[in-house]
Amino acid sequence: MNFPLLAFRGVALALALTGALPASASQYETIDYYVQQMIALASANEEAGVLIFREQIENLPRPEPGDARQASPFSQHGQERLAGGQLKEALAAFRQAFIADPADPEIAGALGLTYLRLRRFKEAERLLVYALSLAPTRSASWLALGQVYGQQGDVRRATGAFVNALRFAQDQPQATEQLRQLATADPADAVRIGALQALRATKPAPATKPVPLTDSPPPQPAVPVQPGGDSRHVSEIQTTPSTTTTRDLLGSLKQGLALLAKPADPATAEPTASPAADNGNPGQRIYRRGMPLTCLIVTFQDGKTANLGSGLLVSKDGLVITNNHVIDKAENLAVRCGDRESVARIRKRSKEPDLALLATKLKSKESFILNQTYSQDLIGLDVFVIGNPYGLESTFSTGVISGLREIDGVRYIQISAPISPGNSGGPVILRDGTVIGVATMGLKVGQNLNFAIAAADVIASPIFAPKQMQVRSVSAP
Amino acid sequence: MNDACRMPALLLAAWIIAMPAALAQDSERNRYFVQQMIEMAATNNEQGVAGMQRMLEQNPRPAAPDQAAARAAFQHGLALFGQDALDAALEAFQQASRDDPGNADAANYAGLVYRKMGRFPEAEAALQQALALEPTRAVAWFQLAQVYGLTNDADRALGALANTYRFAQNQMRAEEILRNIAENEAADILRNAALETLRLFHLPAEAVIVPPLPANPDGIVPMNSAPIPTRAP
Repeated sequence: MNFPLLAFRGVALALALTGALPASASQYETIDYYVQQMIALASANEEAGVLIFREQIENLPRPEPGDARQASPFSQHGQERLAGGQLKEALAAFRQAFIADPADPEIAGALGLTYLRLRRFKEAERLLVYALSLAPTRSASWLALGQVYGQQGDVRRATGAFVNALRFAQDQPQATEQLRQLATADPADAVRIGALQALRATKPAPATKPVPLTDSPPPQPAVPVQPGGDSRHVSEIQTTPSTTTTRDLLGSLKQGLALLAKPADPATAEPTASPAADNGNPGQRIYRRGMPLTCLIVTFQDGKTANLGSGLLVSKDGLVITNNHVIDKAENLAVRCGDRESVARIRKRSKEPDLALLATKLKSKESFILNQTYSQDLIGLDVFVIGNPYGLESTFSTGVISGLREIDGVRYIQISAPISPGNSGGPVILRDGTVIGVATMGLKVGQNLNFAIAAADVIASPIFAPKQMQVRSVSAP
Repeated sequence: MNDACRMPALLLAAWIIAMPAALAQDSERNRYFVQQMIEMAATNNEQGVAGMQRMLEQNPRPAAPDQAAARAAFQHGLALFGQDALDAALEAFQQASRDDPGNADAANYAGLVYRKMGRFPEAEAALQQALALEPTRAVAWFQLAQVYGLTNDADRALGALANTYRFAQNQMRAEEILRNIAENEAADILRNAALETLRLFHLPAEAVIVPPLPANPDGIVPMNSAPIPTRAP
């Protein structure tokens, strides 16, 4: 192909397109238009056109600079959280940084990347496009934007964004390696295809020093390392000629995908205990295991938050026990158990004992086991309470079983562990991790005179679901 | 006193009597236009909002008896506000408004102080005054939205937030602020209004399942949240 002719065509096309933006376009529509043109021209390898639109973006009015000093600690905090995989915390930090200084392309890009990791692709796209309007040659933003498009199945735009990531990379080998990683290891087909096409479309960067005139091999996808895996299919992908159609490529890549490890599903993954979880402190062990199974319950009335309480996850298919008085008069319900949230509906309820069973969408490999023991042997055993008193989530307290009481025909475990409004419906746990009661009420007079409906009465109540819930007797202290 | 002398005096007296009524009428008229801007914004009636905005912008700018004194009072108010001396700051901002009734900054800050004091009707009035003077002031719209949110007026909170976004200098920043409120604000009305505003403008938004809990429920200060001073061994 004649390069000067190609370049001329790209310039002419770009010049024609620069005036095509409607006058009434919003701020975002304007910058998105230019960024999309850069993508389209990049995927068509129209380098001159890309540069024209880059110039157009650079000529746009800059947003007012914000307060960089205020933004900096938030940004740093966000980077730490992002590196540690704490995405929600990273989002909160980068948001604060962005609000403090919306003119910093690094912050806007980091916020976009965080949205990408959270799989909130629409938000990610907007933030990354915006970041590129601030710095159209920022390779990291192009790389992340390519992933956003790839995750949504848009190969063409993924390819264009990846081409620009390579084009503008200051460290070409690093950018090439990042794309190779995406081309081989990303679970999304369109990301892998886009990355591979970008690697093939982009020539190696011109060297600044003279190099020997030998044919350097084109960038190839790295072979995924998988113990016991068969790399022959991957070799086939590597030897696919560059003229392969997208459909062929997709088929080949799907074969390669079969060799790649499936990423763990956080919803069903086994919880991994930290080293500290195995130390000798039973409280820490119980908290770490029990906290993800203890739920915050929020009720709504007339579209507003009406009440909050606690609950316990008692089955692998998302059944949650709480007190009836927590969900009384609720029109809608939401629960959060650990990091996971779900809407809930009332499956069963009983006034005496004061219990309710909620159905949620929270599938879990673990759930609390109810302890059916109700005898004087319990008195003096240590108990641990997790709940949300006054909305202070996952509050942990300890005490002992002080007595056994029967009030209005309902058997209660009297405990000395402190509980407050918001603890209602939460688990009272023994050292072996089983639930001996459901925290329900306390005496306003006196000190630490609190009561939990005995698990034995939960088992005897109409809310008990024997096929889904697990039961055990007390283990020797 | 002859008739020639009496005439100007009578006119002056008539003007003095009529002035509060006229000012009150202006105030009511401006309030009407601001409320119309809110109503129309809530239904994304862009032309309607622009029309009411033009009506407000056609108002003659009030005469400033002493602009220099107004500036000084405003700066003094800012310093007091920075020290959290709300009563004194409010007095300074009011003085700035008296010295220059066209000072939108002073009215806006007076509204902010009233809001912080929980004096919502006065906050609303002051912010409407600021918006009558400068109907594209996004910050004042945002303050007003918070006032409506805190007084459980969902429709007007939505309208005021919509105008916040519409008039924001940096709409991407405003969008992110709205998203932050929609996901993290404990006050239901304001949180829902932010979510509705994002939807109104077809911006990506994620409704929360479990709403955020108040940061300080019932005035509780979690003791264990305070940093614990440590000493090197």
